[in-house]
Amino acid sequence: MQRLGNRIEQGQVSAMGSSEGQGLEILYVEDDANAAQAVIALASANGDRVTWEPSGKAGLQRAGAQRFDIIILDRMLPDMEGIEIVQRLRAAGVGVPVLMLSALARSENRIEGLDAGVDDYLGKPYEPQELIARVRALYRRASGQAQGAVILYGAFECHVKARTCFRSGKHIALSPKEFELFRYFMENAGETVTREMLLRDVWNMNFDPQTNVVDVNIGRLRRKLEEGFDKPALETIWGAGYRLTPGE
Amino acid sequence: MDRNWHNSIFTRLARNAIIVAVLAVLLLLAVTWATLENAMKRSLEENTATDIAGLVDIYASGGRAELLQRLNDRYEVENIDGRQAHYLLSGTGGTRISGDVPHWPSLNPAISERGFVKLPDGTPVYARSAHLDENLDLLVAREYSADRRAMLLTVAVFLLTGLVIVLGVIALARATSQRLSQRVEGINALFREPADARLESLATLPDRPDEIDELACHSAETLARQGRLLRMHKHMSDNVAHEIRTPLMHLDQKLVKALAAAADGGEATALGQARSDIRGIAGLLDSLLDIASNEARRGDRAGLETVDLSAMVEQIAELYEGSFEDAGLALTTEIAPGVSFAAEPMQVTRLISNLLDNAIKYVPRGGMVQLALQPGPRLIVSDNGPGVPPDRREAIFDRFVRADRGDASGHGLGLALARAIAERHGLALYLADSDDGATFVAEPM
Repeated sequence: MQRLGNRIEQGQVSAMGSSEGQGLEILYVEDDANAAQAVIALASANGDRVTWEPSGKAGLQRAGAQRFDIIILDRMLPDMEGIEIVQRLRAAGVGVPVLMLSALARSENRIEGLDAGVDDYLGKPYEPQELIARVRALYRRASGQAQGAVILYGAFECHVKARTCFRSGKHIALSPKEFELFRYFMENAGETVTREMLLRDVWNMNFDPQTNVVDVNIGRLRRKLEEGFDKPALETIWGAGYRLTPGE
Repeated sequence: MDRNWHNSIFTRLARNAIIVAVLAVLLLLAVTWATLENAMKRSLEENTATDIAGLVDIYASGGRAELLQRLNDRYEVENIDGRQAHYLLSGTGGTRISGDVPHWPSLNPAISERGFVKLPDGTPVYARSAHLDENLDLLVAREYSADRRAMLLTVAVFLLTGLVIVLGVIALARATSQRLSQRVEGINALFREPADARLESLATLPDRPDEIDELACHSAETLARQGRLLRMHKHMSDNVAHEIRTPLMHLDQKLVKALAAAADGGEATALGQARSDIRGIAGLLDSLLDIASNEARRGDRAGLETVDLSAMVEQIAELYEGSFEDAGLALTTEIAPGVSFAAEPMQVTRLISNLLDNAIKYVPRGGMVQLALQPGPRLIVSDNGPGVPPDRREAIFDRFVRADRGDASGHGLGLALARAIAERHGLALYLADSDDGATFVAEPM
């Protein structure tokens, strides 16, 4: 076992950090030292702690022995398939959210991973910001912060049952799909949401079409949310995706 | 698959076996009856011939008185063979001189006629006549009801035995046809849904294998080989992806580091472009592997689920609506409700989105694109763009082929992948003949 990464001071951690208010405890099972170094550096810069295990067996043992917020798994490990690790973890009752980070990134591979119990799947090479956003979103989803009938963020209100949207008390008319998109941003308020996440969660697609469909749909939602207001509603995060701003 | 019983070859065989058994029993019965009848007739003929010859002899040697005396003796005798005898001795004009038969039956004594007749009281007999002299005719008859009873008894025993045989054949044919049907169904089930455990049990031949055992064994071996090839294909694809994407990732990570250190401007732009090229290579690799994977799994039903195609097409149209508008194209839809299909949903989504990507790429601003779904399922993406010349309509589905438009981006794999996905689902994807624009049709082969 090798432990890399360092614990960081409180306050540097994002609001979505673990319950102790520190960064996330992440287990990373990966045989490629270069790939591991890159993830560790990235996570450390974000205030998360990474425990690295270079083999499947060691990773499995570690996952059973210690509590983690997130497990990041490589798929093709020399001693064991990442898929098998997830299956064994799930069979053993370990419910820690698993993100599979693999060079096998085709639609077919992703479906195999998700069917085996993986919670999210990201292909290599990846955009560093995308990995961070995915880990954050996964942790948030798993920590089960139940959303009420009305989600509030900054100037925005999302009435889930009535399917209506307000900004600073002003009603904004959205099409059903635009509302889904808006609601997704509200549920991930203040966090980066990537194109892949939107395709997967809003449109149920796990591949990237050649046409920039996501950008166009975001553009439309943005126009509606920003019309008549000075401050932006959605900002583009370069190399990653979009983020809803408080808008006030 | 539920097979109607009369559709089964084994049911037909069983039915034929039963029909043959019934016909054979009936034929044997007819032959036996004819044989018994013949034997009875011959025996009656001999019987009456002997009797009448004796009486003619007596008349010749002892004269009329002696004949009458002997006839009277015969009336006293009870026949032990159950064939009651009857006689008639008649004179001129058929007047009865002696005997228990009141008058002549329809037999001509002048020609010693004989045959089956009925006595005036209705008793059926076999009778033989003889002309003794000008004024004297003799008739000898034998009842044969006892022979008839014996024959009927034989027939009854025969019919009963036949019935037992036919019932036996029915039971045997039914059991055999069910057993054979089950064994063949086992092989069919394996083809419909291969399962490793069953493959193994079928691939093992028993000590004395019959034709179906051999067929099952060959089928199991073929399916196992096909499964192995698919697994090897997948293993190879995974390894190729892994071995190419891993160094690409290392390269990308180095570029990320270089980008962080680079000053804004030309260098950063070049590094950014290099990263985007890396994604292009990874995308190209994935598309090629996706095409190969779909081609390898053509006709394989594993992994297919029932998909609401109408809802899927509706959703994709909605996703693309804005992109069409931005491209200056009018997208119209004509989607029949409730069309479902056994599919891998993500792959079919990709097939449809590739066709729409293609339309956006090749139809000039101001054009019209229609997305239609009909029961079948039949999916049509048609436009009023420049279309494709007839001699290129097949070629555009080949890998790395693009329409002759310099500004089109991409690797030229979109339509090749769309066709591979269509064929993996048993659909033919082709460019239909049309005077105006291009009409892509996906429908069952």
